[in-house]
Amino acid sequence: MRPDTHHTEPLNMTSLQETLRHHKKRMSLNLKACAGCSLCAESCFLFELNDHDPCYMPSYKVLNSLGRLYRKRGRVTQTQLHDMADLVWHNCVLCGRCYCPFGINIPAMISLARQILREQNIAGVYPHSLGAPVEKEPP
Amino acid sequence: MYDQIVMAAYTFARGPMLWAAALILCVGVIYRIRELYCLTIRKEKQSLPATVSTTTPTQTPEERTLDRLARIQQSAFAVHPVMFFVSILFHACLFAAPLLALGHSLEVYRAWGITPPSLPEPLIDIMTATILVCGLFFLMRRLVLPRVQAISGIADYVLLGCVMAPFLTGFCAYHQWFDYTTVITLHLLAGNVLLIVLPFTKIGHMIFFFFVRLCISSEFGPARGSRDWKV
Repeated sequence: MRPDTHHTEPLNMTSLQETLRHHKKRMSLNLKACAGCSLCAESCFLFELNDHDPCYMPSYKVLNSLGRLYRKRGRVTQTQLHDMADLVWHNCVLCGRCYCPFGINIPAMISLARQILREQNIAGVYPHSLGAPVEKEPP
Repeated sequence: MYDQIVMAAYTFARGPMLWAAALILCVGVIYRIRELYCLTIRKEKQSLPATVSTTTPTQTPEERTLDRLARIQQSAFAVHPVMFFVSILFHACLFAAPLLALGHSLEVYRAWGITPPSLPEPLIDIMTATILVCGLFFLMRRLVLPRVQAISGIADYVLLGCVMAPFLTGFCAYHQWFDYTTVITLHLLAGNVLLIVLPFTKIGHMIFFFFVRLCISSEFGPARGSRDWKV
């Protein structure tokens, strides 16, 4: 967890709650439909690559990003948003290969979480799970 | 005093609460289906042929067999065979046992004079026992497997309890364990609670599952589907 002091930029709560309100029904339905069966896990290649770490499960990523935003009605801190950014950018490449037996549109949910985070000027970078970007040696 | 309370609860659960639960269930299911329709749109017609062959014409019969085997290997059946069979067994019994129980048929006959189909009591008893064993499997899975633990909350355990309670009490009532009137009252109350929470909680995947799998087009769907999610 990052200390809150690292992120001093205030959140745009109006924009955050407006986006949540706009997509409320879609989020509610998809989050309620998740039975927590974890059958989506193996469909994520990052889950397979990272010794079956639950943090890479598609359902975990959705429930702990968009799900948390929905449950808390947007009342989250900068640190929590940055943790969510780790989940939806670093732990997901949005390849769209995740499979839900109940037909939940997981990539759309992750994409929505990314949209909300971008609106708060938070954006992810290269997925650390695939290795850090190679830094060129100075000549 | 205790007997009076139990009888009052029994009368309430068998009368007004049952009607209220049935009404809430019907309204809830209609509301959920309407919601699903509002969140999806009719799929645009494409100029592609109605059925697209998954195999190329150049594939030999052996290659086609390998293709099919690869598909099976990637399915939930091959990845989680135990979970796959337990799930199917659990859901099949969950649907059939309450609808085909002789006791329930007799209640319908007493109320409306019609006799719905029913299965022999020993068979329903086996089905109920199967549901209870499968429920225990799901509980253990949630408690033990790190991947399921990571996405489990109190609500998941409460809902599992809500689903299991009518079957556990029904099983006890059939075997005449404990005080019969108390157990059958608890059975009625638990059944009504399950009907009430069904459309509004995660158990609502009962409605969601069929709609999404059959109506919405998806790469892994069994049907082509005529609808698509709104963007």
